[in-house]
Amino acid sequence: MIEQPSQSTSQKEKQNSKYDDELEGFGDEFEVEELCDPFNGYNRAMTIFNDRLYEYVLKPVAKGYKYVLHVEARESIRNFFNNLYFPMRFVNNTLQGKFYYASEETGRFVINTTIGILGLFDPAKVHFNLDAHDEDFGQTLGFYGVGSGPHIVLPLFGPSNLRDFISLYPDALLSPIDYAERSYWSLTDTWPEYLGVKAFEKVNYISLDMDKYEKMKRDAVDLYPYFRDIYEQYRKKQIEE
Amino acid sequence: MKHIYKKILALCVMMLFVQNLAADEQSDLKNRFLDKINEVILIVENKKLSKDDRNHNIVKSLTPMFDFELMAKLSLGNTWKELSKENANRFVDLYVERMKHSYSAKIDAYENEKVEVKKIEQPQANRIAIITDLVSKEDTLDIVYKYHKPNSKEAGKDEWLIYDVEILGISILKTDRAQFKEFLRTKSIIDLMDALAKQS
Repeated sequence: MIEQPSQSTSQKEKQNSKYDDELEGFGDEFEVEELCDPFNGYNRAMTIFNDRLYEYVLKPVAKGYKYVLHVEARESIRNFFNNLYFPMRFVNNTLQGKFYYASEETGRFVINTTIGILGLFDPAKVHFNLDAHDEDFGQTLGFYGVGSGPHIVLPLFGPSNLRDFISLYPDALLSPIDYAERSYWSLTDTWPEYLGVKAFEKVNYISLDMDKYEKMKRDAVDLYPYFRDIYEQYRKKQIEE
Repeated sequence: MKHIYKKILALCVMMLFVQNLAADEQSDLKNRFLDKINEVILIVENKKLSKDDRNHNIVKSLTPMFDFELMAKLSLGNTWKELSKENANRFVDLYVERMKHSYSAKIDAYENEKVEVKKIEQPQANRIAIITDLVSKEDTLDIVYKYHKPNSKEAGKDEWLIYDVEILGISILKTDRAQFKEFLRTKSIIDLMDALAKQS
């Protein structure tokens, strides 16, 4: 009887050594390249700041907001914002030579702005089967081979990297929600207005899927590298498409 | 000259045969995969079961198709080789437990979604990737199930086993590997195991 446990351990050992040979075959597939991460300390602090911001401010606000506003209204608000970002998607699709996507985006914008009442509804998808094609300047740069550079966590916006951070500027020029001096129309003029609108957009977005952040966070043992890796892998995939 | 033709013909026939074999392997695996999905959907939609029973049944049904042990080992990378036997076994157990919990939590969020197989790739003789779309009312999620065929089949396990899942290009294994690596830079494997234990 005493022999029993030692036997099962030796069986397990045998199994482990069998796997050791097999592990070799997976070596290349999962070799994590050494990431250049000079802002590690700042990024960690900002990840915690964003996490707290979510837990103690955005989530409770989104909860209350969800309670007062019907889901259809909130979906319409999200659609409205998405429609506003059409120029960014159009230009970046075009810059990457994705002309078909750019034309589909144009169709969406025309239909949703008119029939869809300023973008509040999405008849382009429902009735015309026109899909959205998210492209931003970071993806455009990536498309032409620009590397991501070091990872940077932004306040409120979350994970980013040098390439995507710099790309926020050209994209902002194509967005009606911005605070830079311009000779053409924009929805917000000063940065407090801009931040207010952006926070509202974020709260509205969170309210549509309250558990999304928690679901993602669930598997993290170390929040910062976890979100950093998810972001970089996701961007890589977006650029490849 | 005739000889050469014969040889070429033989080679062509052989290649065709090998290709057919691979195609059979792929469609077999695809059918198994879809059967499994249907099995799980039946459990999910069975309203008579309590939530715990339901999750238990789902995990039981999925376990034979996953190579959780291999995932645990790959998630640690080179550190794996340095573990004592005792720690190695404990780590595998904790990782497997965490995986099962994580899966149950994800299935809890399931709502009338449909799985469509888009493409099947076989980059190597012993690797197959099933590329699927998870279609819901709102949007479509691109999910890739990566299978490998172990040298010898284990009792209670399928012939082909999943060793990684990619959701929107985000590999579960790569993410764990990155975060474990960074975690172990400042903390010990014992700390990591404690953190994993807390998650399940």
